Amino acid sequence: MKPTQRRRTFAGWIGRRALGGVLTVLIASILIYGALRLVPGDPVLAVTGGRRLTPEQIEALRHRYGLDRGFAQGYLAWIGDALRLDLGTSLNYQTGVTSLIADRLGVSGLLILYSALLAIVSGSAVALVSAVKGGPVNRVAGIAAAVTTATPTFVSAIGLLALFSVGLGWFPATGAGTGLADRLWHLTLPAVAMALVAFGVLARVGNAAFTEELRREHVEVARSRGVGGAAVIGRHVVRNALAPMLTIVGLLFASLFVGTAVVETAFGLDGVGSLLVGSVSRRDFPVVQGIALIAVLLFVVINTLVDLAMPFIDPRVTVGGPSR
Amino acid sequence: MRVLAKKTPARREAPDGGAGDRRDALGVSGLSLTLGTGVPLLADVTVRVGRGETVGLVGESGSGKSLTARTALGMLPRGARATGEVTVADVDVLAAGRRRLRELRRTRASMIFQDPRASINPVRRIGDYLTEGLRARGVPARAVAGRALELLDQVGIRDPGGALRCFPHEFSGGMLQRVVIAGALSTEPELLLADEPTTALDVTTQAEVIALLKDMQRAHGTGMLFVTHDLDLAAAICDRVYVMYAGRIVEESTGSGLFGAPAHPYTRALLEASPSVHGDRVAIRAIAGRPRSLADSPTGCSFRDRCPLAGDDCAETVPAHRPHGQSLAACLRPGQVTP
Amino acid sequence: MTLTIPALRARSARRRRRRPLAVSLAVAFLILLTVAGLLAPVLAPHSPDATSLLNSLLPPGAGEHWLGTDSTGRDVLSRIMYGARLSLLAPLGVVLLSGVLGIAIGLLAARAGGWADAVISRGMDIVFAFPSLLLAMLVVAVTGPGLTAPICALAVSYTPFVGRVVRSVAIQEGARPYMESYRVMGFGVLWVTLRHLLPNVMPVLIAQSALAFGYALVDLASLSYLGLGVRPPDADWGSMISQARSAILQGEPWSGLLPGLVVLLTVVSVNVLGEHIGGSIAGKREGS
Repeated sequence: MKPTQRRRTFAGWIGRRALGGVLTVLIASILIYGALRLVPGDPVLAVTGGRRLTPEQIEALRHRYGLDRGFAQGYLAWIGDALRLDLGTSLNYQTGVTSLIADRLGVSGLLILYSALLAIVSGSAVALVSAVKGGPVNRVAGIAAAVTTATPTFVSAIGLLALFSVGLGWFPATGAGTGLADRLWHLTLPAVAMALVAFGVLARVGNAAFTEELRREHVEVARSRGVGGAAVIGRHVVRNALAPMLTIVGLLFASLFVGTAVVETAFGLDGVGSLLVGSVSRRDFPVVQGIALIAVLLFVVINTLVDLAMPFIDPRVTVGGPSR
Repeated sequence: MRVLAKKTPARREAPDGGAGDRRDALGVSGLSLTLGTGVPLLADVTVRVGRGETVGLVGESGSGKSLTARTALGMLPRGARATGEVTVADVDVLAAGRRRLRELRRTRASMIFQDPRASINPVRRIGDYLTEGLRARGVPARAVAGRALELLDQVGIRDPGGALRCFPHEFSGGMLQRVVIAGALSTEPELLLADEPTTALDVTTQAEVIALLKDMQRAHGTGMLFVTHDLDLAAAICDRVYVMYAGRIVEESTGSGLFGAPAHPYTRALLEASPSVHGDRVAIRAIAGRPRSLADSPTGCSFRDRCPLAGDDCAETVPAHRPHGQSLAACLRPGQVTP
Repeated sequence: MTLTIPALRARSARRRRRRPLAVSLAVAFLILLTVAGLLAPVLAPHSPDATSLLNSLLPPGAGEHWLGTDSTGRDVLSRIMYGARLSLLAPLGVVLLSGVLGIAIGLLAARAGGWADAVISRGMDIVFAFPSLLLAMLVVAVTGPGLTAPICALAVSYTPFVGRVVRSVAIQEGARPYMESYRVMGFGVLWVTLRHLLPNVMPVLIAQSALAFGYALVDLASLSYLGLGVRPPDADWGSMISQARSAILQGEPWSGLLPGLVVLLTVVSVNVLGEHIGGSIAGKREGS
């Protein structure tokens, strides 16, 4: 294949992948919008949930959701606004959903990144050490990973809260703090609580991947050539296990995003997650729809990026190969 | 009838069983290997490879031939204990520490493995593999690149510059084994350990790779231990051949002597079990029974439960190596023909 | 610097064939929970709803309350036993529902092939893009708190896991010569499917169902913890933890930690069991 030709197929492949992602988000958005219409009876009554509204407000809501129009027209109006970053108006706060979410993205974004960093660093480190050492170290790490994977986030949250905030008083129990250092201090326990499951998953998947790569003959060959231990691990084990690890990391981000709902509730943080929980229980549907849309978008974007990175990580993955 | 090959140097006419002199590329003497759990793997193995010499190590799978070759690089199974003496170009391998072993592997001995596709990291480039040994030694990058091109050219790869940037999956098995050979010789080792280097290749490619290996070995003056299960191949290309069974050396002979007059019943059985294009043997006879590992072999001679000549005396002790024609054979009835 | 020695490999394979201690413990714990839940009215030492402000927030081991009491003085042990009913039944519902849906959709996709298969597979990808808890919350936002709607939502969310496996096995088996011969003999498609495809899929499905049960239990308990799941007076372990929130901040964490521990142990047990089943299936596949 000539280089120019290869470049062209590569561009086409990127295009196809991106198109697939856009399609997924579009269909998901139809589902998110359509969920409101699944309600038996008048959707507006379900949404307002007994809240007292003037007939004018109800009429405005009908118009807002396009309930006075057909499904397609209503959806197009909603998604059109969403594309212009207008996610509607909150029933509860009476302000724009976009700004409600944006105001809380600082806390939640930092929380997600912090906890992803903790999970990735500790998970890969434990996976690597346990795979290399083997024996009892491997067994202990395996048990730790199995237990953390099975620990629901809300259980680890209350456990950490009871031990480190209330019991030992090392960390604050509520609030997000001000200023970066204070905020990190406040977010440490929530981040750890959220990272535990991700840590367990990464430690297990990573251990399996590293163990498999360690057994490969090319690792033994490298050692037979007098390449130093660290270089063998880095160049021939970690490098080769990168692809499965990255796939898992991509999937973890979506679960971390949803995990904020639990953790922010447990630690009294005012973020997107607790906004979601509050909005669900108050049936503030525009906010729920907005957050759901963002979650799906985040999932699709991250996984598409991971897909696109694969050929660079593993040259055997052929560009333009089967899409899954 | 014994046919003497001209290439066999006179001084190797009578094979020696000792550790050999210090100038040897490889001297293994009285090597025994036991796992931490007490399972024995090798017993009293003695193998010598002189400088520039080609020595075959032949046996069925599980006989311990690959293990012997790996021990020469200090690559023991986890938890295994070795006794005896192993020297590679004056380095005492069994006594060497981690650093000294690494140094040995970087400069004095190289190993070629069975499957080139498994030997080369699939996510790294050919050039990266080729130069890894040199870079581990601390050779500057520019010199390394030049040397890599030269080596690829020597092993007959067209467009060496392009090849350096290729990934392994873009190459055929035969081409990859050429790369592996070039990589093994890049450090100018005194000892080359070839562990079934052609088993994973097509028949036509096999001949090319063997020829290349011999050429390169001759050009570089490297001693080679050629590990194979193919007795005919070993006899054809090796100056001397060791035959292994169940973790022990059962016969040592010159390459040609092996064909003419195999002394040990196991060697004879191996020859009869393999179809041959140049011999006049007609019937192919399978060896009765299953190959044994050292751990579950009988007392005395390990081969006696499968040997047609075995008598009660074979059970008493492990037979010592005794001369028979051009061979040294660990057998009480060397050279006798199966009834 | 390790070599694989056949003798060693054989030994570790032998060890694997014996049932590990962890699996026995997991099974014992799950049986214990089931019995405790089923026989709660007989076995529970107290009524789960009997409040007593004098005896609130007792620590474990205090007198007649073995596991202590919560902030309104209700017996924690009894509440855990009664809570086991909803906590275990609801995820079971999710697993069964998603199993039926997944088998139907997977077989449909494999049978139909072509663009219908493509559409169904794409659909499963899209469902996969919704984290399960998010989908459940989306539904709760419409219907209000309660368990029925989240159970359905989670079932839909887990359907792709089952559907993908069923689809791939069905396509694989459908291509085998014996399937063609059945068809030639005039057996109906449905008959062939039920008689020959399902048994092939079943072992994998059972292993996966065990893992899905764990996920569903966590998701449902999380919903209850967030106040979006069971409605009082019903209670499950998640809602018990939710009600203990203020007690934890007061430094009396037991009424929250104990049900949390039960959730944790249940999920660990289910995972251990699921992996054991999955592992022995893989072992059998290799062996045959």
